[in-house]
This record gives sequence, structure tokens and C-alpha cells, in this order.
Amino acid sequence: MELNKYQQEIFEKQRPVIEKFGVRAWGWSIFFLLWILVGGYALYLQIAKGHYVTGMRDNVVWGLYIANFIFFIGISYAGAVISGILHILQVEWRKPIIRIAEMITVISTIIGPIYILLCVGRLDRLHHLFIYPRLQSPIIWDVLAIITYFTGSVIFLYLALIKDFAIYRDAKLNIPKWKQKLYTMLAIGYRGTPSQKKHIKISTNLMAIMIIPLAILVHSVLSWIFGMTLRPGWHSTIFGPYFVLAAIYSGTGVLIISMWVYRKMYKLNSLLTDKHFINLGFIMMVLGAAYGYFTFSEYLTGWFSSMKWENEVIEKLFNPAKYGWWFLFANVAGILLPLLVVAIPKTRTPNMIAIASFFMVIALWVKRYLIIVPTLESPLLPMQDTRMEYVKYSATWVEWALTLAGVATFFLFFTLLSKFITIIPISEFGDKEKKSVVVLAPAKAMETIPA
Amino acid sequence: MKQALIISAQTNFFKQLPVYAVILILLIIPRQMFAQADSTQKAEPAAAEELSLISPTLTFISVQNADNSIDLKAAIKAKVKGSSIKLPLLKIMFLLVTDTAEKQLGFIITDHLGKAVFNCKANSFLPGKDGKLYFKAVFAGNKAMDAAEAEVTIQRARLEMSAPVKGDSLITVKIKLIDVGTGTEMPVKNIAVGIFVKRLFLPLKVGEGTTDENGEATVEIPKNLPGDAKGNISLLAKLDESELYGNLEASVTSTFGSPVSDKLEEAPRALWSAHPPLWMMITFAILMLIVWGHYVVIVYELFRLRKEEPHPPANIINS
Repeated sequence: MELNKYQQEIFEKQRPVIEKFGVRAWGWSIFFLLWILVGGYALYLQIAKGHYVTGMRDNVVWGLYIANFIFFIGISYAGAVISGILHILQVEWRKPIIRIAEMITVISTIIGPIYILLCVGRLDRLHHLFIYPRLQSPIIWDVLAIITYFTGSVIFLYLALIKDFAIYRDAKLNIPKWKQKLYTMLAIGYRGTPSQKKHIKISTNLMAIMIIPLAILVHSVLSWIFGMTLRPGWHSTIFGPYFVLAAIYSGTGVLIISMWVYRKMYKLNSLLTDKHFINLGFIMMVLGAAYGYFTFSEYLTGWFSSMKWENEVIEKLFNPAKYGWWFLFANVAGILLPLLVVAIPKTRTPNMIAIASFFMVIALWVKRYLIIVPTLESPLLPMQDTRMEYVKYSATWVEWALTLAGVATFFLFFTLLSKFITIIPISEFGDKEKKSVVVLAPAKAMETIPA
Repeated sequence: MKQALIISAQTNFFKQLPVYAVILILLIIPRQMFAQADSTQKAEPAAAEELSLISPTLTFISVQNADNSIDLKAAIKAKVKGSSIKLPLLKIMFLLVTDTAEKQLGFIITDHLGKAVFNCKANSFLPGKDGKLYFKAVFAGNKAMDAAEAEVTIQRARLEMSAPVKGDSLITVKIKLIDVGTGTEMPVKNIAVGIFVKRLFLPLKVGEGTTDENGEATVEIPKNLPGDAKGNISLLAKLDESELYGNLEASVTSTFGSPVSDKLEEAPRALWSAHPPLWMMITFAILMLIVWGHYVVIVYELFRLRKEEPHPPANIINS
């Protein structure tokens, strides 16, 4: 594989990261594993004793798990839409960040649907979804859309990685044999010939185009699970675009946070520059403004119609004794904070943008919770002679443990993946800086060259 | 040296970490994790169950039919671990009890609902001195269950129902209740008799009449009762749980019902039916084909890439 000087620089900067699984990586991995282990114990309790150990009951049948599911599928938009759009528009500054975005997509698309499995009972009948699918049901649409989306995300990530795998293969890295073999296998014989480049380009362009409508469809379908139900707070035509926008928005936030962490951890200031943070900050600001507009429109319409059930939910969201403070937090941290931080030049710094993104992501998670729980606590038929725990949802430690286990799994996968592939794609920088060429010759190819 | 040993020990530990993790998981996850039984309930000692026999309950009624036959109906059930269970495949013996002896009439094995129905001709039975018939149903018991028996006493009577007559807005049926216990036919007055129409599960009450001095009653019933495809309806006159006569029934089939097709109509393709609308199927198929078709194209491109002849770089320039 031919590398130019700039690529060589980038690669050498990241070489130690993929060569060594250092003490710090071990420490973090064990920490995340312990976290996951606690979640495993909670899962054992849930399977052994049933969903009784959760806060979910007859009326509030969805809780933290479904909020987590929407959240993780939402942040998967980072790779799908952001990297897809930037690729199609050939935006140059996208190059150092697309790998992180695509990793977020794949990892969160794995974790998100697991929460569905945690939420439903009778997992032994899970295959019935495929044996007896009911095509009229948005649940089936969702299952099929997510499977298709996940496959697309993996292909998209892999396409972007083939050139880099070829670089790792030829770089004579100080790594175990199995890892070297794996790189060779995953590089699928890529040598950088013009026709091979053409194959990759065709495939990547196809995927970049495909992944955008696909991602929009996935989150629209997800929103329809709510929107097509005649429940207050859910039955709304705006839910499709509202969910899609919120997903891209939260995905951008997670992307900024991830960039900030990697920049600090691996000292990548020269690659993940202030410009990247500011550009993404502007994208986040525009998305935040649109999200704020959708939020205002959604609740104004509901409030103005004064329908009894709709008003009941809105009252819960605005009442400080109920969900009022959470709703305020979701809107202040989720809309105003990112807008102000990016809009004011003095606060438009990587650190401040990352902090605003962090609070925005938390706020968007709270928002998902507020979409689900208050509505389920406002059934169309009045609840009579029932216990308080059936009327009001309160998440148990089991649900919190499994929620944190999901977050830990996300971090663990990120840690492991960043030790296997370079966070900054090397091959992406190849075309415009070919002043001096360095060749990383594969061992076998070297042997075939006549002396 | 010491430092090298520590590093070596650390490396070995990290290399074997997956093995330790698997052992730890196996130790933590108990076998009961995937057990079907409710692990939250305390298990009862098995020996205690074996010691006590199940005590079944036998219920026994009689139904006198218009054709002078009597249905002796027995049902047997038992309470096991707090829940009532209907006992199938048990032998129920039916007996006629006279002043001098008990005559075995026959036996029936209970069905899956724990029911046994014995039909007998009443003309052959001689009533007792008081003009009544005594029947007994007996379950002899087995290794797991105690014996059980029940008795029923009835005076012979007959309920008759004539063919219905169609009026302008209603249908009328005549019923007659006759006491035949003493050998001569005596009309029974002031008895309320219900008129039912047979439905899928249980008979539906559609009218009621009280017998006059002649033992007769005329009952009006609606004329728009849904029947089968030809409009046939089965009417049933019932006297339930009379202290003297027990249960009496008479039935007649009429064509005065509203015809209802018994053919299953094909469900339309709709959101609420088993098959989705055609447009939904087509849209879904097109969408899936487009997306997965592109995936196939991409995989094909990658195969082509892989098949290309690898060639070494022409110039090797080291920086």
C-alpha cells in the first residue's frame, strides 16, 4: 500500500494505539465489564423472577428500556446521516471524524435493540416475529427496518475500513498473529489498484446514498409505533420528522463528545481540530433550533386543541410536582444551552461545545422518557381500585443497572474497537497530499519483487 | 529480575483473563436460571402429597325428557393445590335405588370435562311407595382418590312443547307440563317454564310462561332469532331444578329463524385482518428489494475487488 507523508504521519501517531492494549485500556475494560456484570446479575433476577422486579406494570408497560432503545437508535444517526451527507457533499473536514461517527452507528445499533429484548416477556417466542409476522404492525416494520439498517451500517463502516485494513496488513505492526491474519482477511486483497479503488468508490457512494433514507425510515418507523397509537401525547403527525430530527441532533452530540474524549485521550489535537468542533457545533445549533421549533409546535398544538386526554398529559409535563422540572431540564439543556453556547463566540470552544453536547444528550434521553411514561400513566380508561405502583411508574434498580450496563457496553465496544482500528481513517487523506510517497510493502509482495 | 517476573505474571494473567471470566460466569449463573418452574414459591415436600388421597366432589342431576327418557348427569371434580380440576377418565356407576335393593343401570367413563351422562328409558322403572324414583351415582375411588357418591330423587313428569306458530311480529309456542308419577297423567299448574334457543355455547333464554290449570302455557318469542343457513332454530323448554321433578326439557326445531349463512366469508385484505392490504405488500417488497438489492450489488463489487490479481508496487520509496 502506498502512503503519502501525511498519511504516514497520521498512521505513526496512531500505531501505538492499535499495537498495544495498554494498562489504561485494560483498566477501563475491566471497569466496564464489572459494570456489565452488575447488569448481568440484574438480568438474571429479571429472568428468574419475571418482570415483576422492574417497575413496569399493566398500565405503564414501557419504561427505561424503551427510552434507552430510542436513545441508542437515535445516536446511531451520527454515522448514518452525518457521515453519509458529508460524504455525498464531499466536505473535506469530514475525513478525521467519519470513522468515529460510523463506529457510533454500528455500536449503538447493536445495543439499542437489546433493550427491546429486555422489555418483552416470553423470549422463547421471539422467533415467532419472523415465522408469523404481521405486516400491518409497526412493530414488524421496526424489526425489519432495524435489521436492514444495521446491515447497511456495518457495510458502510466496512467499506470505509477496507483501505485501512490493507494499510495495517502491510505495516508490519508489532501485533499477535491472529490479529495480523484478521487484518489480511478483512483487507480482501486490496492493493490500491485503480480498478479496486473504483469498486470501493462505487460501493461507498451507493451506501452513502442508501444509508440516509434508510436511517430516516428507521426512526420514522420507530416513531410510528407511538404515533399510530391513539394515545395522548403520541398520536401526532409530527412524530416522524420529530423523532428523525431528535435522533440526528443527539447523534451529533454523541459524536462531539466522542471526538472530545479521543482528542484528549490520544492527543489528536492536530487531527481533531477546533474547526471540527465548531463546524459540528454549528450543525448542532441548526438542528437544535429546528428541534426546538418542532417541540414548541407539538405542545402548542396539543395544548390549544384542549382535548381532555391531551391536556392531562400536558398538565403532567408542566406541573412541577409531577414531571415539570424534568420537562424544563429537557428543554433548557436540550435546546437553549447548545444554541447559546454555539451562538456566543466566547463560548464557542471545543470544551464548551462538548459540555453543552453532554447536557444535550442527557436532556434528549430525559425527553424520550417523558414521551413514554407520562402518556402511559394517562390511560383512556380510568384506573380504579388499583395499587399506586400500577398507576405511577417508578424504575427499579434492576432497570437502572441494565441501563448502565448498556452504556458500559457502548464504552467497552468503543474501547475494543479503537484498539483494533485507527480512530482517524488513514486512507481518507490519500488523494491530495501525494508529494512524497512511502511504500508499505506486504511481506509476500516483497518476496515476489525481483532483485 | 523481580520486575520481569511481575510483568510476566501480569501478562499471563491478562492472557488467561477470558478463561477466568468464563469460570466466574459459570459459577455465578445457577442452573435454575432457565428453569420453567416458579422458583419464588417454596417447594412442598413430595412425601406429604403421597400420604393424603384426593377427595373428589360428585355432583348429580337428572333431566326428564319429552320422549320419556331420563338423562342422569354426573360431574366429578377435585381441588388440588388450591385449584379446582375436572377429572376425566373415571368410571361413574349409575344405580336405581328401590325399597329392597340397588339396581345397577350401567356406567359411563367421564369425558375431558369430568362429565358422564347416562340415558335411560323411564317406563321400565317402578317408582317407590311414595311414587318417586331414587337414583344414585357412585365413583368407587382408586389409589389416588377417595370414593364419592351422590343421590337424586324425582317424581316422574313430562314437559311437552308444540310446534311454534308464527304471528305478525312474534312467534308463539305452547308448552304443557304433566305429572305422570302416579300412573295417570295429571296437569301441573303454576309452574314457570323458560323457553330457550340453542346457541353455540349455552342456550339463550327468549321467553317464559307459567302453566295454567290445564298445565299449559303459551309463550311469545321474537321472530327475528338468527338461525342456520335455512333459518332453522332449535327451541328448548326447560324447567330447572324443581324440588319435586328435578330438571325437565323438551325441544322442537322450527324454520322461523332468520337465515344466517354458515359459510365462512373470506376476510378482506385489511389492517385488521390476517392478510395485509396488497398495496402494503407491494410497497414493502419494493422497499426491501431496493435496499437489499443494493447490498447485494455492493457485496458483488467487493467480490470483484477480491478476485483481482494482486500485484506488487512498482517502486518502493522509503521516506
